[in-house]
Amino acid sequence: MLALQLLLNGIALGAAYALVALGFVLVLNATGAVNFAQGDLVMAGGILAAALAPLLPVPGLLLLPLVLALMAGLGLLLSLAAYLPLRHRPPVAVFISTIAVGIMLQNGVTVLFGPEPRAAPPLLGGGTLDLAGLVVPEQSLAIVAVAALLIGGQQWVFGRTQLGRRLRATAQDPEMARACGVPVTAMVMATFALAAAYAGAAGLLLANQFFVTPTAGGDLILKAYIAVTIGGWGSVPGAVAGALLIALFEVGVSSVLSYPVALGALYVTLLAILVFRPQGLFGEVARRRA
Amino acid sequence: MRRSLAFLLLTGIISAGPARAETLNMPVLVPLTGFLSLEGTSQRNGAVLALRGAQPPGVTVATDVVDTGTSPEAAVTALERALGRGTTVAVAASMLGTQMLAMLPLAADYKVPLVTVSGTASITEQGNPWVFRFFPGDAVTKEAHARYVVEELGKRRPAVIYQTTAYGQSGRAHLAERFRALGAEVVYEEGVDPAARDLLPVLSKALAARPDVLVLHLHSGPTALFLRQAAAHGVEVPIVAGSAMHQPSTAALLDPAEMKGVCAETAASPVSGGSPEMDRFTADYRAAFGTEPDAFALGQYDGTRMVLDAIARGARTAEAVRAALADGTHEGLAMTYRSDGTGNMAHSAVIVCYDGTSRVPQVVRRYDALSGSTR
Repeated sequence: MLALQLLLNGIALGAAYALVALGFVLVLNATGAVNFAQGDLVMAGGILAAALAPLLPVPGLLLLPLVLALMAGLGLLLSLAAYLPLRHRPPVAVFISTIAVGIMLQNGVTVLFGPEPRAAPPLLGGGTLDLAGLVVPEQSLAIVAVAALLIGGQQWVFGRTQLGRRLRATAQDPEMARACGVPVTAMVMATFALAAAYAGAAGLLLANQFFVTPTAGGDLILKAYIAVTIGGWGSVPGAVAGALLIALFEVGVSSVLSYPVALGALYVTLLAILVFRPQGLFGEVARRRA
Repeated sequence: MRRSLAFLLLTGIISAGPARAETLNMPVLVPLTGFLSLEGTSQRNGAVLALRGAQPPGVTVATDVVDTGTSPEAAVTALERALGRGTTVAVAASMLGTQMLAMLPLAADYKVPLVTVSGTASITEQGNPWVFRFFPGDAVTKEAHARYVVEELGKRRPAVIYQTTAYGQSGRAHLAERFRALGAEVVYEEGVDPAARDLLPVLSKALAARPDVLVLHLHSGPTALFLRQAAAHGVEVPIVAGSAMHQPSTAALLDPAEMKGVCAETAASPVSGGSPEMDRFTADYRAAFGTEPDAFALGQYDGTRMVLDAIARGARTAEAVRAALADGTHEGLAMTYRSDGTGNMAHSAVIVCYDGTSRVPQVVRRYDALSGSTR
């Protein structure tokens, strides 16, 4: 029974991490840039949801679209401030600019909202369900459902819509896309907006169960980076698999070994993957695309 | 030209007027950003509230607040800059141990007392006469923590869950030593990373060791997370948490029912009241900062008031303030402060408990004159 309980907790945590990693992969694919501010965008989404909750006392489900819209706006600002002016510079310039934006977000949130940990409202209800002896937080089910919807929605947009085709074209070869009439700059901005919206969703979902502080972003970006490295640089299914693997170590392995040892085992696994399968678990797709 | 003339006239009028109050400086150098911003903000607020209060007669004590972030270099730079301005008689200094350790040699060079609420034991073990800690160290608070568990609750099989940070390791060491001295057997202990998001694994392993009490020494967020998961899983083993639990920002994360029966150690709990003076401090703090005070804010407030009292009694130099802090006694709001000869001013702790209907805990036990020694 405990194993089932831990499995359920691990899936919910992995789903939230997947949303963090997904936004990271989107920007990576569209621009080739590593957006180190993604973790702080998740933090900002969580703080935003927590700050809006007293003003709009509605369930998190109704708050979610507003958080997505505001975060998308923040993503647009991020692209204008930290990516577009530097896109023709060496990649390290964007690394640094996104790190700087992340620090500014952390300190800005501390100044504007205070340093206290905060909790966002639950998506539907904050209670727990008793399913044959399993204690299932409603928020855990909501996290899994929202993550599945957003990931499925993204696959649909990318696979079946004109916008998705333009986004993919921009990601694969911006010069050729531009030659074919694709508004590459607009597509890049749309990608940043989408990635920030994902971060907002992840922030709202994580901040209810696990709370959020202004400094939470650093750990989240590390998780996203590891998930993407494990899954395959640029692979969406790989990012999801990597996120679930991290959660497996954090919840499953740590229930047998201690938490610090479980984290150590995760990093040893990461090292082994880098040595024996440097393209990551789902790296084939990325290599073919490249 | 006209503006310059007006300025000259104004300064002339001021200097020709009645005798001006002497201005002394007490800068506030604390971490307002970074991982310790919550506690650092409390520290800042406590110092600022004290300095905004009644000033010593004939003296104006001015202050600058500087964010030291979390790096020792930033703290040292802030201290150097602050000491370069006017007559600095004391500094409200960072509660971050690594920053304090970096600032201590500079304080000794410049001969200026540092007034802090840092819990890091080693800052008062350097033989530096310029540091004064207005918050009980782990040796003191963990003595109260363990004694409450063993002597008041009658528990003998504690499971200890602590943070893997320096804060957590220090608390674990003191708890282990204290439980051993009290004859209690620690049946399980594990360190948890502050970034851990699911504490069910450690909770289930701790319960498997069949403890009769769960003893926590975690930061604010992890404490709330642990209590929430324990409540969701119907854990009936009593929980006695560390001082992070008493912080109003921790209680704000939980429903009162999730805290039912939970107790915690702390230096003080201003929101719990206890005296008209404490109630006034809490009301003033809320009015000034729009938030609830915690023990860090109160400790820094008391420490700053002791400096102001020394100035009111005639101390006009850093050396005179140091002597007053080293040899004097101060009846603060949280406790009576007196140096043990190494700069440890606080020797009391309280236990607070939550009744499940409110986020404001009740003080159930007070421990005074704690030595922090098992010998």
